[in-house]
Amino acid sequence: MSLNNVSTHYISEKVAKVRWLPEQLQQSERFITGSWDMDRNFVRLWRLQSNQYAMSDASVANVEHTPRCMDKVAIEGDVTGMEFVDKDTLVVSCSDGHLSLFNVQRAVEEDQMQRKVRSERLHCFQRSLEPAPCTDLSVYGTDIATVGEDGCVNIVSANNIRQVKRTIEADSMALFAVNFISHQQLVAANRMGLIRMLDARVASEAQPKITFMVACKDDKSSNFVSSLTTHPMQQHVLLCGSEEGSITVWDLRNLNYPASYISAHSSAINEIGFHRKDPSKLFTAAEGGELWMWPENKVLACDNQKDGSSAWLSGDRVKSLVGVEGVLTNIRKGINSFDVHGSRLVCGGDTEAVYLIDDLV
Amino acid sequence: ELGDALAMRCGNTLTGVFVPGSKIALSAYRHVKHNSRDAPTETADQDPVLIYMAQESTLFDEPVLRSILAEANATFGTLQQLGLKAEQAEYVNISRAYRSIVRACLEKLEHEKKSPEVQTDEPRLQRFTEAMIVFYAAECLWHLFEILYIQQKQMVVPQLLEWARFHFPQTEERATDLVLMGEEASESDDYWTTLKAIIRLGGVDITRAILSQNRKASQPVFKAAEAILKGMPVYMDGYSLQKFNSQWEYWHVDAERKIQSSIFASEPELEQILLLVTGNNEQWDAACKEAQDWYEYLPGYLLYTKPTCKPYELRIAAANWLNRWSLLRPDKHLTSMSRMIIQLMERDVKLFIYEAQKMSDTHWFSTHLIDLIYHCGMLKGYFDQNNIDLPALRHSIVYEYGSYLMTSHNLWQLGIDYLDCCKQEGRAAIELLLPRISMRSERQATKLINLAKQRGLVTVEQEICKVLSRRSFDGERYGNALEWAIRSKDVLLVTSVADFILKHYSRTGNLHCPDTIASVGGRMFMSPRLVFLSKYFEFYEFYRNRDFLAASELLVNLLDSKITPDYFWPSLLIDTMPLLESKDPKIFYKETVAILHHIETELVPIIERDVDKYGNHHTETVFKDYRVENIDEILNLMRLACARNLARAMIIENTILTD
Repeated sequence: MSLNNVSTHYISEKVAKVRWLPEQLQQSERFITGSWDMDRNFVRLWRLQSNQYAMSDASVANVEHTPRCMDKVAIEGDVTGMEFVDKDTLVVSCSDGHLSLFNVQRAVEEDQMQRKVRSERLHCFQRSLEPAPCTDLSVYGTDIATVGEDGCVNIVSANNIRQVKRTIEADSMALFAVNFISHQQLVAANRMGLIRMLDARVASEAQPKITFMVACKDDKSSNFVSSLTTHPMQQHVLLCGSEEGSITVWDLRNLNYPASYISAHSSAINEIGFHRKDPSKLFTAAEGGELWMWPENKVLACDNQKDGSSAWLSGDRVKSLVGVEGVLTNIRKGINSFDVHGSRLVCGGDTEAVYLIDDLV
Repeated sequence: ELGDALAMRCGNTLTGVFVPGSKIALSAYRHVKHNSRDAPTETADQDPVLIYMAQESTLFDEPVLRSILAEANATFGTLQQLGLKAEQAEYVNISRAYRSIVRACLEKLEHEKKSPEVQTDEPRLQRFTEAMIVFYAAECLWHLFEILYIQQKQMVVPQLLEWARFHFPQTEERATDLVLMGEEASESDDYWTTLKAIIRLGGVDITRAILSQNRKASQPVFKAAEAILKGMPVYMDGYSLQKFNSQWEYWHVDAERKIQSSIFASEPELEQILLLVTGNNEQWDAACKEAQDWYEYLPGYLLYTKPTCKPYELRIAAANWLNRWSLLRPDKHLTSMSRMIIQLMERDVKLFIYEAQKMSDTHWFSTHLIDLIYHCGMLKGYFDQNNIDLPALRHSIVYEYGSYLMTSHNLWQLGIDYLDCCKQEGRAAIELLLPRISMRSERQATKLINLAKQRGLVTVEQEICKVLSRRSFDGERYGNALEWAIRSKDVLLVTSVADFILKHYSRTGNLHCPDTIASVGGRMFMSPRLVFLSKYFEFYEFYRNRDFLAASELLVNLLDSKITPDYFWPSLLIDTMPLLESKDPKIFYKETVAILHHIETELVPIIERDVDKYGNHHTETVFKDYRVENIDEILNLMRLACARNLARAMIIENTILTD
């Protein structure tokens, strides 16, 4: 059991999304938060500062870090999605249906952040012409895909987000999650738990009708997909977090039935994702206030990467190949987002606080 | 000061109505009496009728203060989990947690206040100052409350000293400076005044440290003073009370004797300090005259006159001291904070809580404090004696706070925790308030539904789903509407959405949201109409994919199924036509008979009934199928088609093939 060093910092805003700034060689010291459901919503840039008083005892390995807000930019609605396109550029989707690109300048003393571009309105309801909230986004290279409550998928290029490369009218119902699988293909999931495979090169009418549904405990109740992710090394392994708190794993080469079904949390999984550098660890954050880590049991895992199989595709055997550990529990309010960089994890949610965990084993 | 034109005409009066969300709606008003004419006034239509929404502006508009709410909410949650039977030490920890939240916030406020954006904004600066005053008082009072009523310690003097020193920090800062200055300290102008002040606050050790660095420290006078100060017995936990008291008495008498024998006459300042230490009235009166507030030097005085003071003895001591103060400083009025301190020391908890509710912090202080009192149970006896129902008091205060949070500033996720503790009333409040939170996105709605689900509030869940279904329906997003209707588990709503889709199809041949209907799955069984829609859609798909045999089978099943809505019979029967008339037989003998049967028993009566009701043009009002102008015409065509198919089927089926 690892003793995780958790520090809590109240920031007076409900956190919708949080992401570390990308760093290649060193541990990232900066992260960005996007707020939601506030009178005024902000995208904020934070930097970890070492606590002065902790330095006195050199033998203590844990140095306390306190985040300090370096800069903030107001945004028109709730932040619903946030990803880095490159190490200085951030794309943020908003509940007013627009995308914005932000640029971060790192400095020794005061970092800065500005909004560079705001897209046209990407999502709107056809009848009332009111803006539809953009609910999620996914990035692949320089392509950004966004999905919204109007059931459309928009693909834009990061180099020019004011121009839409393609719009796919995918669904008649709100879409909740999207994920690129390859440069040309992406999956989008709707509120009914239906996941579609879409081709980015092709117009709406010519889209292949490949759909599959997320598994559910009870046939008679509704189960939406709340988050999607693919294995970083094996893009055909798709993991879906759902409303009932279960994880359904699909092998995209065989969509006849799900590869595995794990009933994990007792509330909706708000975010699911692998450690960017260590794909043997999966993390899930739930609405009930829990954040769990799922490390693959390295002893039992054999060298099966070549034939494309993975511990996650093992059906009933998943429980023996993958363990589960509570990183944060009993927060009592939803954790909306997390991000892991190296050995540090940052997450935030509706308690209006960010939680920092150092020395994640 | 609204300057509303309409109001001005009739004496500038306004009327108001409370609106959910802690707001008031104001509009112009003119009093109507029994003899006023019930007619438009002469000036009607000349001024716009305006409604103004007024909302209380609270401290929590300020982001820095908002974090107090969130942090306190977390501590509140922890306390609820501890329950009523935890260790006393745990409650003390909770009390300290609350205090540290306030202290951290005060620091943040201090820091923010200096920033240029606040300095230039007058009203905001004002708010900051007010907030700091309020929360500073809150922390000070909470600290005193913790010392007197939550901690178990019998001897309160050491903690009271700590409390006083924390709240009058300038003296201690100055004293520390003097210590660091070493020998040169004795040159300072304020050397003796600082020493006197620090002794009055009970800082014996630091006084000794400063005196030992004095130039004249080696002189016998100073050495004698040091001996007295060093010799003062200090109570430690575990000492026998009697033994300590006798030791203290001995020391006290000895010190007084030494002073009276004028050993210290050569150093009048030093003598004054020693007089203070022995509780000399004259010196302490002088101290009163110089104190900033009445309670500043009370703990010090207690240290030197009654070091083993117990909480109940404190009451009398405080009353005496207060008397002294009022006599010496008649001009000094008591601030409300001072009054509250008096109430605490005199064990007038009831009045204290009452005053606490008047603090302008939207009841943060009183709510969390009463909740802590309720849980730690230390004052149970007091409340019983005074006939106060503590659980009910706590319930009502927490309920008010919770409802307030739920209706303002997007604080509903914090407020709901407080209402959860209020049993039935809280639950009812949640049921009413949760659906009224404005839903700006579906993701937010799912969070609200989750909260309702956690508490088993099925009606709230349903209400939210129904509202969203209706919204989508009005926006012509029928797939979305159908899904929300299914989630709401309201059979009537689902039926009406399905009806709409079917009617639209029969009128135009366009089926809305096929993808949604296809994925309904097991949930279709909640409404017969939905089952019909689902199955009809299956038929539709079979037909389009040219799987005619499967289509026919399904169609006949549908005809037999008894779940076909009246308005859809023509469409359904018209659907059989191409299958009946196709080149190769698709529908068998028995099924054809069934079709005929349905035509005669279902469609004909419906047509006849409508003719009775609406006359010969009934098809324009009720039946519309996009394929046919007039339903009556098809009857004959259908009968013919059936007959032909029947003939064909009979021959084929009854033919025995011979080689």
